[in-house]
Amino acid sequence: MTTLPTSPLTSPREDHSLSLRGSRGLVWSVLRLHRAALWIWLLLLAAVSATMLWAYGPGFDAAAADLRQQCRDSVVACHFPSGPWYGKYDTAVALSTLVVAYLPFLVAVWAGAALIGRELETGTAHLAWTQSVSPARWLAAKLAVPALLITAGTAVLIPLHRLMWNGGEELLWADWYDQDAFHANGTVALAYALCGLAVGALAGLLLGRALPALGVAFAAMLAITYLGNDYRPSMWRTVTVTGAKALNLPDDSLRLDQGVITTEGTRIGNNLACTDALDGAADLRRCMARGGLSDIWATYHPRSHFWPLQLAETGIVLAVAALAVIAAFVLLNRRVATASAAASVPPDRRTAAVGAAV
Amino acid sequence: MVEYRIDRRSGVATYVQIVHQTKQALRLGVLEPGDKLPTAREVVEATAINPNTVLKAYRELEREGLVEARRGLGTFVRRSLGAAPADHTALRSKLTAWLDEARGEGLEREDITALFNSVLDEKCPAEKGHEGER
Amino acid sequence: MSRDEEGIALAAVGLGKRYRRRRGPVLRNCSFRLPAGRICALVGPNGAGKSTLLSLAAGLIRPTEGTLTVLGTTPAEARTRFAYVAQSKPLPPQLTVAATLRLGAELNRARWDRAAAERIAYGPLAPGGDRDGALDPTSKIRSLSGGQRTRVALALAFGKRPELMLLDEPMADLDPLARRELLGALLGEAAEHGTTIVISSHVIAELEGACDHLLLMGGGRIRLGGDPEQLLAAHTLLTGPARDLTGHTVVESRDAGRQLTALIRPGGPLPDDWQTAAPSLEELLLAHLRNPDAPDLFTEETVETDENEENARA
Repeated sequence: MTTLPTSPLTSPREDHSLSLRGSRGLVWSVLRLHRAALWIWLLLLAAVSATMLWAYGPGFDAAAADLRQQCRDSVVACHFPSGPWYGKYDTAVALSTLVVAYLPFLVAVWAGAALIGRELETGTAHLAWTQSVSPARWLAAKLAVPALLITAGTAVLIPLHRLMWNGGEELLWADWYDQDAFHANGTVALAYALCGLAVGALAGLLLGRALPALGVAFAAMLAITYLGNDYRPSMWRTVTVTGAKALNLPDDSLRLDQGVITTEGTRIGNNLACTDALDGAADLRRCMARGGLSDIWATYHPRSHFWPLQLAETGIVLAVAALAVIAAFVLLNRRVATASAAASVPPDRRTAAVGAAV
Repeated sequence: MVEYRIDRRSGVATYVQIVHQTKQALRLGVLEPGDKLPTAREVVEATAINPNTVLKAYRELEREGLVEARRGLGTFVRRSLGAAPADHTALRSKLTAWLDEARGEGLEREDITALFNSVLDEKCPAEKGHEGER
Repeated sequence: MSRDEEGIALAAVGLGKRYRRRRGPVLRNCSFRLPAGRICALVGPNGAGKSTLLSLAAGLIRPTEGTLTVLGTTPAEARTRFAYVAQSKPLPPQLTVAATLRLGAELNRARWDRAAAERIAYGPLAPGGDRDGALDPTSKIRSLSGGQRTRVALALAFGKRPELMLLDEPMADLDPLARRELLGALLGEAAEHGTTIVISSHVIAELEGACDHLLLMGGGRIRLGGDPEQLLAAHTLLTGPARDLTGHTVVESRDAGRQLTALIRPGGPLPDDWQTAAPSLEELLLAHLRNPDAPDLFTEETVETDENEENARA
């Protein structure tokens, strides 16, 4: 939560009031206006947390007991875990992973787009702006309060999910780089949530209506998530190994590419030649000689890259969030009168044609 | 305390209506020296006329020496109009007696009004014209 | 700040507003000034630009050209000192009346007059107890009628204890009794605190007698501005034989054969064979609206000249 999307663009004259203490009334108003949303968020947090705690404790134990029973019955069945408790456990884990990975993000898009869009749509935003609250402060509060709540909620969900997921890894056959699990196990979930809030707010301001804003923000965030999943491996330096090592990557690594280098020195990617030469170094040398290859290589992310990848992606997504926040403030300031608006009028505009005086 | 009744369709300027109604109250003894006139706020809340109109009327009354504005306290009656209240009571009882007599003779309300007005016009002709109607 | 500036509630110079999606400007080259402490009726037909002018004054939108000075400064700087009630009376539907007033208190912490707000919302404590129109603090905004919502919106405006009230069609949803009561409350506020009040309306009759300043809008500009009495005094309604009206400013003239009926601004003595009469405010306004080419008229204090502007900037 290093880069909370509070306003970077307010003029110095408004700075003193941007602290939460100076905006107590405004914070109260945001919480009071969206009390229903706040309760729903808290209820969802409680439900998901309870599910994950169950899966971590009694759920895991019951599923493990199921599996032990199965293995005693048949060795083959041991590799295809099932059973009444195992099924429940598996569903609980899968669902909580999905929820932790994407719920904060959905809630944030909704908070940004629907709440701001609706206020503009019904005019209650204008009501706030003509009280003693400047539009910039209003937007800052509309972003900061949900951002804090989402951060706090996500800060509870992610550790719980890690606890459950790490505890059940052996039962789940899950990989650290699976998209949903990757989201749910680190700071990336929070980053996407904050980005969703910012993009949602921007869409809300831009379109001024709740439903279209929600649709557009959701589509934009889907695109951003898709890009994130697509480019995730390139967000941190990969490891490349050659020779026999390329054929024996650590079990839990994210294998990205494998290829060959010909005797002429040409590097060919996505080539699985000689990967079946597993009998020994001599076997591999023979295969390479036969194919006119000088070496084989593999590129991958070892498990130790989990946190570097998480933090890199978090940073990038938060940067996108910051851009959206800046755009939102610029848009708002352009639309409404600001403290410096009058000074910018060219002098020739001031000649006014007025009627005759009585 | 007087309450002003504003007739927008009368064609008489609103502030003149207030001046007249105040004088009427002074004459009838509804307002006596030392009494407070309603504040501008009270008048405009009741009548929905412009505050400046009320202030203009009060200034006019002040100019005529009938009321005085005391800063921060309000506007107060300085002197009454017409006869002293004591004489007033005596006159009123005589008029009541006369009216009883008129009723006794079988005169209707309209007859009495007509009779009264004709004597009134004869004895004290209207001052400036605008006083007569309102 | 010069004295000149202190006494002016609203001043526009060459003010214009054009919306991107519409072809023509909604406001163009509007120049006027409204002295502080006035009750100003902003009248004109629908679409004349009244709401746009009020939105500009409230700082909700930016002018595309010109300036608008509110209480001697920019609308944004004056934000805490004016109250604005939009035509649609937007209020959060999920709140109760009491929570809405609390919202007003929270968003105007520096200057909130709870008693003033509650007096408008719940009505003065009449000895008879419940009065018609007085609101129940626990009812939800979404369950209120249009008139009741207007009451809440106005309660927020009163609670702010503003120096200037900008009210966009506040009477539209109210029944005659509530109209009268609201107008009384507004004028009482003005009488006690010297509040400047701008009320837009397309019905002048309901404001006649209450307003001491008039701004007539038509075709995106101010057509008439000033004290209604002075404006009326500057016009004459005449009937008489058709004759050349040169020398007088003709607002409207109708020629029925040899007979002429006209509303003019006399530029000199009028011949004796013309019957003259003072126009009513409604006649004056309608004549101007029917004749968009009639020259605009401002009483002296209303004219926003460059000289005034220089003083204001000094």
